Formats: sequence, structure tokens, C-alpha cells
Amino acid sequence: MTQTFEARGVAGFADTWLPLIRNAGPLLFLLFLVAGSAIIAPGVVQFDSLLSFLSDAAPVIALVIGGTFPILAGSIDLSVAGIASVTGVLVVVLNPVLGPWTSVAVVLLALLFGAMQGFVHTWLQLPSFIVTLATLSILSGVALLLSNATAEPIPSDDVLVGMLGNALAGVPDTAVVLAVMVALLGLLLRFTRIGRDIYAIGAGERAALMSGVHVLAIRTLLFAISAGCAAMAGLFLVSVTSFSSPTLAGNLLLLSIVGVVVGGTAISGGVGGLFAAVVGGLITSWLRVVAVIVGVVPTAQNIIFGVAALLAVAVTTDRKKLGVIK
Amino acid sequence: MTPSRTRSPASRAAQRWSPLLAGLRGRPFWAQFGGSVAALIVLSAGFQLISGSFLTLGNLRSVVEAAAVPAIIAAGISFVVIMGAIDLSVEGVMATASMVAALLVANGVNTNHLGVLGILLALAVSLAFGLANGILNALMRMPSLIVTLGMWFIGLGTAAVLFPQRVPQIRDDLLLGVARHGLLGFSLVVYVALVFVASAQAVLSHTTFGRMVYAIGGDEALLASSGLRTRGIKIAAFCVSSLFAGVGGLLLSAQLGSGNANIGNGHLFPAISASVLGGTLLTGGRGGAVQSALGALILEVLNNGLIQIGAGPYTRNIISGAVILTAFAASGVHRRQLLRVVK
Amino acid sequence: MTGTITLRGIRKTYGPVTALETLDLEIRAGEVLGLIGQNGSGKSTLLRILSGLALPDRGEVLLDGRPIVLDSAATARRHGIGMVHQEQSLIPNLSVAENIFLDKAHPAKRHGLCRWSSLNKAARAQLNKLGVDLPTTVPVETLRFSERQQVEFAKVLAIEELVDRPPVILLDEPTSLLTPDEIRALFFQINRLRGRASIVFVSHRLEEVLEISDRVVVLTDGRKVAERASASVDREELYEMMVGRQRAPAATRLRPETRHAPPLLQLEALTSLPHFRNVTFQLGRGEILGIVGVLGSGAEELCRGLFGVLRIDAGRVRFGGEPLKLAAPRAAVQQGIGYLPANRRAEGMLPGRSLTENAVVTFGHQYDWKRCVRNKAREDAAALQWMRRLKVKMDKPSAPIASLSGGNQQKIVLAKWLLAHDLRLLLLDHPSRGLDPGARDELFAVVREQVEQGLSVIFVADTISELIELSDRIIVMRDGEVTAEFDPRSGALPKEEQIVAAMV
Repeated sequence: MTQTFEARGVAGFADTWLPLIRNAGPLLFLLFLVAGSAIIAPGVVQFDSLLSFLSDAAPVIALVIGGTFPILAGSIDLSVAGIASVTGVLVVVLNPVLGPWTSVAVVLLALLFGAMQGFVHTWLQLPSFIVTLATLSILSGVALLLSNATAEPIPSDDVLVGMLGNALAGVPDTAVVLAVMVALLGLLLRFTRIGRDIYAIGAGERAALMSGVHVLAIRTLLFAISAGCAAMAGLFLVSVTSFSSPTLAGNLLLLSIVGVVVGGTAISGGVGGLFAAVVGGLITSWLRVVAVIVGVVPTAQNIIFGVAALLAVAVTTDRKKLGVIK
Repeated sequence: MTPSRTRSPASRAAQRWSPLLAGLRGRPFWAQFGGSVAALIVLSAGFQLISGSFLTLGNLRSVVEAAAVPAIIAAGISFVVIMGAIDLSVEGVMATASMVAALLVANGVNTNHLGVLGILLALAVSLAFGLANGILNALMRMPSLIVTLGMWFIGLGTAAVLFPQRVPQIRDDLLLGVARHGLLGFSLVVYVALVFVASAQAVLSHTTFGRMVYAIGGDEALLASSGLRTRGIKIAAFCVSSLFAGVGGLLLSAQLGSGNANIGNGHLFPAISASVLGGTLLTGGRGGAVQSALGALILEVLNNGLIQIGAGPYTRNIISGAVILTAFAASGVHRRQLLRVVK
Repeated sequence: MTGTITLRGIRKTYGPVTALETLDLEIRAGEVLGLIGQNGSGKSTLLRILSGLALPDRGEVLLDGRPIVLDSAATARRHGIGMVHQEQSLIPNLSVAENIFLDKAHPAKRHGLCRWSSLNKAARAQLNKLGVDLPTTVPVETLRFSERQQVEFAKVLAIEELVDRPPVILLDEPTSLLTPDEIRALFFQINRLRGRASIVFVSHRLEEVLEISDRVVVLTDGRKVAERASASVDREELYEMMVGRQRAPAATRLRPETRHAPPLLQLEALTSLPHFRNVTFQLGRGEILGIVGVLGSGAEELCRGLFGVLRIDAGRVRFGGEPLKLAAPRAAVQQGIGYLPANRRAEGMLPGRSLTENAVVTFGHQYDWKRCVRNKAREDAAALQWMRRLKVKMDKPSAPIASLSGGNQQKIVLAKWLLAHDLRLLLLDHPSRGLDPGARDELFAVVREQVEQGLSVIFVADTISELIELSDRIIVMRDGEVTAEFDPRSGALPKEEQIVAAMV
């Protein structure tokens, strides 16, 4: 009871300004970035460049969307980049067995794998970061093992990857598929009982459990979604490169987390959503464009994204909620 | 609060018996090391039975050589893990330390020739990463997971930016000598590892700083309500972790003979695994530097043995991942509680 | 330098709740002062103030006539005051010796180095003062509860080395989890220290307090209502004072007729060790069963056990005639069982979410299409309807729940359960905790209204007066077992004194 009244007392910065920064800040920042780039290099905001930006950005946005779900419930999925890489490799390796529908099967496999991660994390009560870090290690080994550490061309008969390479009325199909994913997951989050339960777990897991929320099932689903999105990101990647490599998505782990946090989703859980994820994914992708325009050497991009992650987390972490911070 | 008592006369005697282990306070010898030692024996015997060539002097030597640097990194990361926090930045720190050292000591791309000073500066840079981790975690109150994740990539980026046109060959005799010279059949790297692991354990067991690290892992909220300060301790623990990672980076560079921006790749997860295998369990308050080093040795035995019996070169990651999940699940499953919240 | 602590005009409030009302108290050097009172009488608050964990709103603390400010545990320690906590304050993975000197500078820890042999020797000396033989090098988590308490005792007693006068040792309900033998050992230790330290002994148990104390102080509703020498005490009178006569006698509702419907809930020898044993009772439809007991009596745990949060070791439960499996809260919810937890902040509410979201988290799906796709309009309407009926004071239903006062938060948590179409049993675990009297009365009125419509309620009460006020039938628990049962419908109201006597 004591805390309740104290919490009411400090209705200063945390209560009035933080939500505002979280809600409007990322979008304003994105507009600022785009406007700034347009002034320096007007070419980047032409229709064609924007379209190609969309297909380049699709993998990162897909990863960010997927990664948002576990974080909304206070967990984290560090395995997404590994899943994306393995997806590319499996599309090649399994093609002789499964034929043109391989990629669809691989996405289903990823969903299953993610569900397993979520189940292990929740049922065995192991921290999510250690489970997914372990699977990241396993997945990167699997990718190397299956591909024999070489890049292979994607089989031309694969239905899904083939489709992703095309364009619909000038709009790349990756963007269309991405839009469909966003729409579906957005509906899930906003208009279903599952969405309500996800936010309940993120806001207070114990209270959610005591309110009859099926925490195990929801967590399992969250990690399945995350892995499914990662697999789609892998397909987006190979549809652009048309080659699969075991380290295809190696550097996307940080980008996926950065995207989640710069969009305003709090790492502490319960705050954020799909709009934040899309904005965060766009910011992260656009930051890469800016880096090119400004002339930051590609090698330094990791520094920028690392700092961006730290800044975003510094602003959005709900310290009141965390108590002892580990 | 179930009353439990796990003491037995034998274990009590073991405690009084060994002044060396008096430092590993509290837990009887076998409770701390029994599992690790048993695992080492079983694994070695198993690989010997299958391959017939595991228990040769040459192979055991190569296992120890390969385990030296991972043991240092694991010992360092233990400081953070014992507190119940996590340090993901070690790979980045190793990379930066490697590049800084390679460019400051006598090398193949520039005219620097700072010698020992160059090495010290590289370690100072490592320490700076730890300082940043600690300040962001303890003072800015940000979760260590995300802080060190950011620092991981900042470290990788820094190393990549520092990377010159071509590979910086190291020509410094002191640094190279650690890898090239040997004593009693082992390279000096092994002895450096022994010194660092032993000092880490001494600090953990015999200084108030070390004991506070355990106390933070035991019950941090209680320390705060008793009016004890923990922030300085937390920052220092992150510094130790980064410093040890830096040392690991330097030793690997010495073995490689050049600075490398990818030198840390694949070292983070084994280090965390080793500390978990050694008994820290990531919940804080348990384990120690020696246990973590033993964990690193187990992983190396496993890796070496699997190569001996014909597993491919890429199975290393798979195995350490699988082992850790299994070990973790097995040791934690009895502690499941209905209302425990694990993120 | 005698070390007398004087409290003058101490007042402390938590929001609308007054915990201490202008309290004057003297703790004399070398005496054992017994402090008794019911739950919520202000004992814990008094201890928190003395040990530096809370600052009083008004009034002052004097040490030998000079005012001191106890603003942290460290300050209290420097003034020679230490507390043996009911929930122990030892670091589980550190050794006995380390815990004893954890919060104190000691020569064995100078220059940042730990000199184990001298630290262990010093710890042994502290334990010897208590006449206790415990190994000093084992981690405290391997000790029994009573052994840990002795360590805690030694830790507090070691304060006397920091100050040049007898220390003040606060014992917060030290006996509640001890066996009779262990209690004897504790009293032996207290007797050894008599004269060397001032000891404040806090307990619900009048017998124990009278046995060990030189002087007894009774607190009721944050006021000191009696101060006696233990030797010259009229027990009946103390019981009466503990109960608090000045409160208006509760308007007890005696419902005319027991319904002869089959019982809704039947417990048979339900056991969950170490919390409660062999609990057997029945609960009828539309009945309010009040359970009362001091902290650790098992009343609260029984509620949690029925909601599926505690492991059940033995016994059977039938609910609506069917065997009930107590697996998880989710299973209980599906059976139509609701639970209003005592720890509202951690277990009752979702802090960052709005009032509506908090209200619909459990049963919102009743209003959804196919129980899955949300119909926000219907959900909001249902939530709003309950908020109106419960008279929640709020700006708007979309405001965060943290912006409400404790009483209104509690109403939202209650609304979460009342939204259910088919709630059959509601477990109220200290529902009035942190509420002012007005909010409490409103809460009770709603509960009564629901009971009239057939809801059954198990009610774990904070105070005896509210227990008598709300319950149809009363069960008293002590040390995990049912010690008394009262049925006001079959005769006269139980006297509060009778209930207290069964509790302690």
C-alpha cells in the first residue's frame, strides 16, 4: 500500500513526459531523419528509391516486428538472426526433398521451433535470453554445418521466394507481404483476447497469472511469432540476394533489438506495439541510408546502432517497475 | 522457507581440512567441484574409449592450451554473473582490445612502438568498456542485458573502424613471446590463465569487494534496506569482466600474431556456458572463478573429444548450446515454482 | 549514557490510513518491553520507525533526552538500535560469520581484505554471548529457521560493539514460526541479555509477552491504550483493550435463515505443509465464511491454496459436488473461483494498464465474439457499469490504474471478478488492507449485495471487528490448524475476546 501512494506522488517526468516521448517521439524522429536526408540528398526520397528502400528494409522490419512480441511480455528473443540465417540455408538444403514449397515448410518449421523456445523458457523457468542465446549458438552451428560454410544459389523453382522477387503494380512483393504480416499481427494484438493477455503479462506477470491468464500458452505463441517473422525476414533476405549464406543475417541481431527499442517499446515490457515496431524498423533501416549519405564507413555502423540502442533504452525503461535492476 | 540441512560431518571436515579452499566459503568441496570434476573424468574416459587417442599427452596438452583463454574470459564474466547480472559485451571488448594493442605495439602497419605501454593502454580501453557498462547499469539503472548488448556492438564497431588497410601484424616480442615461449611443456598463455583465474578467485573469496559481489547476488534488495551501498561494487564487477575479456583478446592476438576485429567471435556463449556449468546458474550468488574455469575446461574437452571421434568442425556451437540448455534445465527443474517470474 | 529511548508524539499515516496516532513511549535501558496489539494496531509501523525504515510524520525520537533522526537502517545501527526481522534479513548464500558482520565495519574486514580466521572468531564470540553453538562458515541458507533466527539475533547483538551503551534490540514476532522448544531457547537467550540490552518484544501472543516482559504496552488503532508492569496485569482487561472498545460496535447483520441448499465447497483434511494442516469445513451457497488468524496462522495460505497457488499435500476438496483439482489459478478461474489478493500491487493489478483493461483482463472474453475477437464496446460498457456500481472515483475509464487511490484500486480488482457471469466463490484475502473506513464500508456493502444473489465468500479478515461485521460464520486458525468455529446464526454473537483467545 505504501508504494501506491508514493507512485501517485511522483507524477512528474515519468508520468507526463515519458508516454509522450514514447508515443510521438519515434515518429517525429523518423520524419526528422527523412527530411534531413532529403535536404542533403534529394535522390533518396524519390519514388523509385523509396520502393527499393522498402525491399531493403523489409528484413529488418520483419525482425523488429517479430522481436517486439516477446519484449512486450518482458522477455527477449536473441535467436532471430540465427533463425533468419538458417531459413536461407534450409531453403536450399531441403529443396531436393520438399520441392517448390520448401520455403513454406521452413517457415512452419520456424514457427514450431520458436514455440519450443517459448515453451522451454516458460515451463522450465529459464531466462529467455539464455535460452535464445543458446539456440542462437546452435542455429549458427547448424547453418554452418548444413551449408558447409558456403554460399549457395537459391533454387529457382521455390514458390515463395520466387514470388517475393516479383513486384505487384510496381510495389515489390516483399513490401506487400510485409504489409499483410503487419496487418494480421496488428489485428491479433489489438482485437483479440490474445493481444489483451500479452499486454497483461507485460504489465505484471504475477498479476496476470493470478487473473487466470494462460501465461505458458501465450509465451509459447509469442516466441513462435517471433521465430516466424524471423524466418520471413530470412526469405526476404534471400529473395534480394538470391544466394543463401550461413552468416546471411549475422549482423541483424542488434538491428532487430535497436528497432524494437527506438520505436518506443519498453524493454521492461507492457508498453509499445506494432505501430511502434514498424516505426522502429523504419528508423533503423533509414539510419543505414543516412549512414551512407553522411559517409559513415560501413564498419562504424555497429557503433551508431549500439549507441542508438543505449539511448533509446535509457529513455524508455520503466525504472519504477523494475525495482532491483540486474 | 522450508528448513533444510545439507551439512554432514564429512563435508564439515573437508571444510576445515583445506585452508586453500577456505576461500570458497561455505559450500563443501565436493558440492562445489564434484560435479565438474566428475564430468571431466567421465567425458575423458568416454572419449578415450571411443577414439582411443583422447588421453594422450599431446592431446591433453592441446585441450589445456585451447581452454586457457576461454577460462580467463569465463572467470571474468563470473563476477557479473554471480551478481545475477549478465555481460554480453565480451566479444566486442576482445575485438577492440586486440586492435588497440596491435596498433600501439610494434606492428606491420604503423610506426608505433609503445611496448608494455601499448598493452596497458589496450587493457585501459577494455576497462573503459566495463566502466561504461557498470555506470549505465548501476547509476543509470538500465538492465545489464541491453546495456551490454549495445556495448558488444559498439566494441565490434570500434574494432572495425580501427582496422587499417591491411592486417596489422604484431611484431612486439613481449606480446608474441607469451604465446611462443613455453615452460614445462605448456605455453606461457596457460600460466597467465592460471594467474588470472587464481587472482579472480582470491578476490572473490578474500576481499570485501568479492564478498559483496556474492551478497548482491544473494539478495540485493536486502542490502539496500540495510543501508549498504552497492553501486560501486557493481561498477567494479563489470570492470573486472571487461578487463579479463581484454586480456583474453590480447592473448588470442598473440597466438594469432596479428590484430583481428573478429577475434572475439564465438567466445561469448562458451564463457556464459562455462560459468553456468561451473554452478553460477545465472540466478546469482553461486559459483566462483575456479568453477567457471573448470566449466571452460569441460567445454573444451567436449569440443576436442567430439572432433576426435569425427564430428565436423562446425558442431562446436551446436554442442555448447545443447549442453548448456540441458545442464541448465536439469539443474533448474526442481526449482520450478508456480509463481516464479522469469523473464 | 544509559540508553533510554523516548518517543514523543509520534504520528504516522499511510495515505488515508493512520498507522500511529500521537504515540508516547519510553524504552528504558536494560528492560524487556512487551508490545502487544492486533493486526493493524501500529506495532509494525512503530518498529519501522525505530529501526530507521520509516520516518514519522510528526513527533520526535529522543536518545537519553537528545533528539535523534533515524533516517536509515545505518543511522539506527549507529545509535545502537537493531531489529530481528520477522522475515529474516540474512543474505542466504553468505556464511554465518559474514552475515553477522555484514552491515558493520570490523577489524577483520579492514583495507578491503577478509581475514577469515579473525572474522570467524569474532562471530563465534557473538554467538557465544547467546550461548549458541553454530558453525560460522556455513551459508545461512543451510540452517534451520530457528538457527537463522539466532544468527539474526547475534547480528543485531553485535551492534553493542559499535556503541558505548546497551543496544536496543527489536524483536518482531520472533515466536510465530518457532516450535515450543525453540521458543524456550529464545526466552533463555532473552533472559541472558536482560540488563545488558533493551529489548522490545512484539507479539500477538499475550501469554508469551507476559512471561518474558518486565512491562507491557498495548497498542490499539495506533494509540497506546495501556502500560502495565507484567507482574500486576489483569489479563481479561488486556484482552479487552487489545480488541479496542472505543470502536463503535459493529452493525452485525444476522441473516435470518440458513439456506438448506447443498454446500458449495467442502474441504476434507486439506493440508499444505508447512502452511496449514487438516483443514475441514463446508461453505454453503450465499454464505460468508470469515477466517481469522495472526500472521503465519495459515488463513491467508488456505485462500491461496484454494486458488491453486500453493502445492496441496493431502486432503480433498469438492466444489459444487465435483472434486476440485487445485492445479493453477487458471483452473480455479475456469471453475468460477475468484481471488482478491492481499498484495494488491504485485498480484491484483496490472500497474501500467488502464482501469478498463484491468477490469476485463479475466472475464472480458465473455463479451467477445466467439470468446476470442474482442468487442471493446461491450467490454468497456460492462467494465464501466461495474465501476459505476462500485462508485469508483476516477477521471476516465482509460486512466492508468496507478493514478487511483488504494481503495479505488481495490474496487477495480474486485470489479475484475464481479464481471464474471458465473462466479461462484470469491476469496477475499485481507480486502480492507490499506483502505480507509469509508472505502472499506463500500467494499463490504458490495460483497453483501453479491452474496444476497448467491455468491459464496471466504473472507480472511484484518481485524476481528470487521470479521464479525461481515461474516455469517467464523473459523479461527492458529499455527496452521483450525482452533475454533463460531456460528452466530445458531446463538449469540461470539465475543471478540473469545476469538482472540483462540487466535493466540
